[in-house]
Amino acid sequence: MSWSVGVDVGGTFTDFFAYDAVSGTEMLWKRPTTPDDPGQAVVLGLQELARAAGLPLDRVTRLCHGTTVATNALIQRRGAEVAMVTTKGFRDLVEIGRQVRPHLYDLHRDYPPPLAPRERRYEVLERIGPDGQVIAEIDWRDVDEIVAEIAKSGVPAVSVCFLFSYLNPAHERAVGTRIREAMPDVAVSLSSDVQPEFREYERFTTTILNSYLQPVVDRYLSNLDLALQALVPAATLRINQSNGGTASIEASRHAPVRIALSGPAAGVVGAAEIAKRVAQPNVVTIDIGGTSADVALIKDGRAEIAYGRDVDGFPIRLPMVDITTIGAGGGSIAWFDRDGLLKVGPASAGADPGPACYGLGGTQPTVSDANLVLGRLSGHLGAGRMPLDVEKARTAIEKIAHPMGKSVEEAAAGILAIAVANMVRAIRTLSVERGHDPRGFALMAFGGAGPLHGRDVAAALSMPRVLVPAAPGVVCAEGLLCADIKTDFAASLRTTCLDTYRLLVEERLAGLAPAVDDWISAEGADPAEVTVEVGLDARYVGQNFELSLPVAKAASVERLTLPGPESLRSAFFDAHEQAYGFHDPDAPIELVNCRVAVTAPPPGARAPLPGPAPHGSEPAKPVGRRKVSFDGRSWEDASVYDRADLAQRQAIDGPALIEQMDSTTLVFPGDRAVVEAGGVLVITLNGQQGAADEA
Amino acid sequence: MKLDPEMATARGAASAHDPITLEILLNAVGSATDEAFAALMKAAHSTNIKERNDHSTAIFDPAGRLVVQAARSLPVHIGSITGAVLGAIARYGDRMAEGDVFIANDPYTAQGSHLPDVNMVMPVFADGALIGFSCNVAHHADIGGMSPGSMAGGMTELHQEGVRVPVVRLIEGGRWNTELFEMLLLNVRGAAERRGDYFAQLAACNLQSKRLVEIVSRYGAAYVQSAFDDILRRTERRIRDGFAAIPDGRYAFEDVMDDDGVEARDIPIRLAIEKSGDRIFFDFAGSSPQVPGNINLTMNATVASVCFALKALLDPDAPNNQGVIAAVDVEASEGSIVNAVFPAAVAQRSQTCQRVVDIVIGCLAPCLPHRAVGASNGADTTAVFSGTDPRNGRSYVYVETLGGGVGGRADRDGKDGVQANLTNTSNLPVEAIELVYPLRVEEYALVPDSGGAGRSRGGMGIRRVIRPIGHACTFSGAGERFTTRPWGIFGGGSGATGGFAVANERGVAPLPTKPRGFAIPDGAAIVIETPGAGGYGPPAERDAESRAADARSGKLSSAYRARHYPEEADRDADPPAGRDPSREAVE
Repeated sequence: MSWSVGVDVGGTFTDFFAYDAVSGTEMLWKRPTTPDDPGQAVVLGLQELARAAGLPLDRVTRLCHGTTVATNALIQRRGAEVAMVTTKGFRDLVEIGRQVRPHLYDLHRDYPPPLAPRERRYEVLERIGPDGQVIAEIDWRDVDEIVAEIAKSGVPAVSVCFLFSYLNPAHERAVGTRIREAMPDVAVSLSSDVQPEFREYERFTTTILNSYLQPVVDRYLSNLDLALQALVPAATLRINQSNGGTASIEASRHAPVRIALSGPAAGVVGAAEIAKRVAQPNVVTIDIGGTSADVALIKDGRAEIAYGRDVDGFPIRLPMVDITTIGAGGGSIAWFDRDGLLKVGPASAGADPGPACYGLGGTQPTVSDANLVLGRLSGHLGAGRMPLDVEKARTAIEKIAHPMGKSVEEAAAGILAIAVANMVRAIRTLSVERGHDPRGFALMAFGGAGPLHGRDVAAALSMPRVLVPAAPGVVCAEGLLCADIKTDFAASLRTTCLDTYRLLVEERLAGLAPAVDDWISAEGADPAEVTVEVGLDARYVGQNFELSLPVAKAASVERLTLPGPESLRSAFFDAHEQAYGFHDPDAPIELVNCRVAVTAPPPGARAPLPGPAPHGSEPAKPVGRRKVSFDGRSWEDASVYDRADLAQRQAIDGPALIEQMDSTTLVFPGDRAVVEAGGVLVITLNGQQGAADEA
Repeated sequence: MKLDPEMATARGAASAHDPITLEILLNAVGSATDEAFAALMKAAHSTNIKERNDHSTAIFDPAGRLVVQAARSLPVHIGSITGAVLGAIARYGDRMAEGDVFIANDPYTAQGSHLPDVNMVMPVFADGALIGFSCNVAHHADIGGMSPGSMAGGMTELHQEGVRVPVVRLIEGGRWNTELFEMLLLNVRGAAERRGDYFAQLAACNLQSKRLVEIVSRYGAAYVQSAFDDILRRTERRIRDGFAAIPDGRYAFEDVMDDDGVEARDIPIRLAIEKSGDRIFFDFAGSSPQVPGNINLTMNATVASVCFALKALLDPDAPNNQGVIAAVDVEASEGSIVNAVFPAAVAQRSQTCQRVVDIVIGCLAPCLPHRAVGASNGADTTAVFSGTDPRNGRSYVYVETLGGGVGGRADRDGKDGVQANLTNTSNLPVEAIELVYPLRVEEYALVPDSGGAGRSRGGMGIRRVIRPIGHACTFSGAGERFTTRPWGIFGGGSGATGGFAVANERGVAPLPTKPRGFAIPDGAAIVIETPGAGGYGPPAERDAESRAADARSGKLSSAYRARHYPEEADRDADPPAGRDPSREAVE
């Protein structure tokens, strides 16, 4: 036996997905998160799994971890004090940022101040120019004074951020070395290491964030590593990164900014893997939890990658799974705006007090209360562990139903329809921006509340089918086991001469090759299984943003073959056409960055993860019947199935409900759900109207 | 945000439309405008639209009332689209047909705001009946005229600023009026790029129109129209309800523009606001006549600025539709700087729009102490460098607009170094400037001591020093609050003025507020300093923690701190320099 365990720490629950590659056995577990020390829930959960389900802890060889520790440290401002050393004349640059306000009309809303306060931002006389040339040498007297001041201040982390360091890192390296020599205990981040890319504000902010997170993440990972060495001594611990791949503890300590969106990224990787089982290459994923919904696109079997996004008001410029978050989840609260219109979210009742139906003191009407009132949710949450109070839900919803002169059921249907409309709007805009038509995609709905709302979302977007994974509540934990080992490198290019671009890129690749080799051995990857992919960021001269073109893929840096100038040109035209709806065959093209993504399957046997085999060999019979309102007006007598009983290829015609420990799937009247490979439910819509279209 | 369900008012129940269906319908039309906004951004050819998003999209009802606009639409744009829609209705009325597309940009015959903003209006039909208008506006990077970019300061007559387009039918029943299109393109610089931008505008109109038809086919035209009525009524009601925060009475305030870049100086703008019950009346009587320089406002630009300020003060999250405009009465005499008539030049109107917002805030500050802020940098500071790049022999034009301070707030200092009021465009990275242009950025910093003193201090201006490398370079620019300081409120001090200057080893020499074609001497650099902003509340009330932070951060010099925040604050000391609307506004 050789067990792999995926552990995803969320805001409310810590999820476990354990899998034995030899026997094909799976175990799922869910326990409350321990917010003060998230590592505690990881340890407790493993012990609980051992006790309750017999997980042999000494046979766990791989443990993949998705963590919110970096995100939370940022959101709660619990990171380290950071000092910044920058080019003379530019210490305010990170404070000015892009000189914009977050909200046009609200003069009282600001972006957050930089994480390195002004008194800890120091200027050194030095300057690199736009060709990488040295315009002014480093003034070492400045540096020595600054080092003395930083030492006196006692900050644990320093960022060194110079202009054009991505073209010539010599000055950053020299100053970084001086700081390390003087203060060996201080963590030093160089902007040319963290992300050697053009655009100083984003590069500097990403670097400062790295410094800010370093001591917190270091402490967390060290403690967790120690605890796990005792508990699962045979396991290697790997941390999921925002790019959807995992990294070693050492690499994660060094670049904590890369794990800022660790958990949600794993969900999309898991979804991509699950979609493969049912041969659906193009999928929109929607992961609906208690407070928010995460939306992402999977195209041709791969999660779309974005090269920068804002996290809590700070731009992070790094490759990461392209996820859009909407303030709509089970706990989202319904309220009347000043013009009397009903709104749902973004405020949420969260887990505490939670929706009114939890009976924990919540009195505001929420999406979960509406689901309960309409019979969509059963009277219990989590395999009968927590009873839900329908009367409390009705009382909460009555507060908004009464002023509208509506019944509780009508108001409940309204809450759901509005929540769905918010999700639909986000997906529509995202699709136009990314140049896709959602009608060509399937919708994969997961997270605790995903399978309750996926059908309405899909119907409103004319999407033909909805996919519900076998274990919708633990897709992130499952995804962790599918994630490759992965890292990204970037190098600046700057050329408009496509005819000779290959020489330049080959030179960059040769420069990166040692780093790639170091990475492979540090991560313990098998060199024979490595995949190296090269992407180029290209744009028309004069544009401010680039399109990323995948150009080559091989088993090693040496074996990469770059396309000829003409194929590169036409690849750029295609990408421009897709993104912007046109291309100009005569305008000059500029190459800005060269990106190298290196992936390898996890060390040891790669878990094939076929998904759970359905338990029943005979088509399952309903375990009961329940009155459900799908449209908020009429009631249907729906069959209730237990998901665990369903047989492979079993078809269920709506109206029906399919219940399982962490989720309920709705099969609308006229729809048909079929249990497909890996236990995935594939629901085909017949085009009948859902609550999203009505009110 | 109000979360209390008890908030539900009788209006919800009394309305013919329930608040759920209305919300979903509003969401759907809002989504249509957001999609069209993204489509226009994606399809456009010019950087100004694609990267700076200087465009807006909106849906109007058959009567020409604004129903919904994209979340990222710009306030001044919307007034100008309204003018084009009403112009199309007036001129073509019943003759409009499916497949028609109208365009317009003229500030006078089509109630635009300046010529580069090209409005596109597409009537949308379902079952042969007009159900609304799918519209957008995009700022074209050139619309012809005497100056590249059509935006230079110092132009004195509309005809110098570009080609005037009244409301005309560019497409009739799906067929392009190619003669008209050829003529338009012949009159602008960079015709190929402009052509692409027109197509992008059409693509956005088409998508938005398709979505509107889908919505109407789901809900029915009659229902949609009555729902639109209801939404506009509710927004107007919501805005009028917000007036309750302002006690009945008359409030007055005035300020001056530095100059028009040609001959007029200290140009007054006067405002009296009369508030009574749920009515509010903005009277600009006594404001300067229109000026020769191109900072004049057409009426719709003035109304857009007033609505922006009112929303910022009372209800930033309110929807943007005709209901907002309907709630507000604005009067300004024809031929004044805030209601200019032909042939007044208007390209740099945004400078004056910014000032109108400050004036509205100054006027209402005494009764809205929690929302009002000190005067912001009140400018749309523009810097233009042009020359021939010695590295490749190509001519270049580098245009940037810079932020400055935002005024001190009741609970917090003003924001430093950020775009204020109606503008919110981003900067260009230093590394981008130096890669593309033969220029070196030597400093990009906050201007010390530029925020007005106060319990909450005003925001700081931005300092940028740019040196041309190895070539002859000319500098043009437009600034405001370079001679008159942004005022503080409730006892807060004034912020610093901004300015343009030229510097070399021997010293620094100031430049005019709106320099045109200044040849930068060999070895010299241009120093741009944008204005700071006014403070809020008496400096003597600044708490110890904030004073300690001021000392630590180095944002204020020790001399400045000694002057405004002496250790033992002498309460009878001279009030800080500058004006204070909270003392002068109530008549």
